[in-house]
Amino acid sequence: MARTFQVGDTFTHVRECDLYRPIYYAGASGDFNPIHIDPEVGKVAGLDGVILQGLCTLAWAVEAVGIFVGDPGRIRKVKVRFSRPVRPEDVVTFEGRITAIEADRLTTEVTATNQRGEAVLKGAIVEASLG
Amino acid sequence: MAIDKRFIGREYGPYTYTIGAEKLREFALAVGGAHPAAGTPGEPPEHVSPLLYDDDAAKKGPYGDIIAFPSFAVVFAIRPFGAAVADPELGVNLLMLVHGEQELEFLGVMRPGDVMTTTGRIENIYGKAGMEFVVVATESRNQRGEVVVKGLWTGVIRS
Repeated sequence: MARTFQVGDTFTHVRECDLYRPIYYAGASGDFNPIHIDPEVGKVAGLDGVILQGLCTLAWAVEAVGIFVGDPGRIRKVKVRFSRPVRPEDVVTFEGRITAIEADRLTTEVTATNQRGEAVLKGAIVEASLG
Repeated sequence: MAIDKRFIGREYGPYTYTIGAEKLREFALAVGGAHPAAGTPGEPPEHVSPLLYDDDAAKKGPYGDIIAFPSFAVVFAIRPFGAAVADPELGVNLLMLVHGEQELEFLGVMRPGDVMTTTGRIENIYGKAGMEFVVVATESRNQRGEVVVKGLWTGVIRS
């Protein structure tokens, strides 16, 4: 808990979207939109198969910062733009950096990139309290 | 077809949701990468905080009970957004709807037994780059009337 943070500190978190993750996330979250669970509907919707719920990708960005600060209960804010779908078997690398520390709060900018180097989130910002 | 801007300001809710411990565990472990099976949410991967699933560890921790993974809030706070995009008067083609942007603010933690009440309001409707955007703001209060989660949900209807 005595850990100190400085502007510029970085962290990395890697998550694989395994084959059934959109279905597991659907069960846990209630988001059963067929574009996440039915490849045929995904094709009709022009998405070339199922895509992971954007909110699961958001959760992984939150997870990355929660691990970095050591307590998921300290997350205070998250803001993301979903720039590209995550598909089953994609590997997403989250790289974060502290951009500001004010009073009892730190702000991080987080990038999320798939295995082809494409951004799946844009402008992601996660804030956490320091104690 | 453009969505009529006169729906800006339309309100949805209140919707009430009681937070259950097993649902919190299930969500935290599904996000964390566990493999659920009948009767269990799966073995927790090492990177998942025990504060999210382990009663004993959580009792000794800073919150005295397990807490919700922060974005567990979407499970109930999405309701006004879902109601807005499914509102027949708006006429959104759900097959063409994708999630464009999301903002969540957490003013406190959520524990099992908390009763969350969510209301929402269409903040904006606009067209950009040939697509339609619907923005819904939500606010979720616990049983003590404290605002715990604020959300800003942006749906994009592809053309």
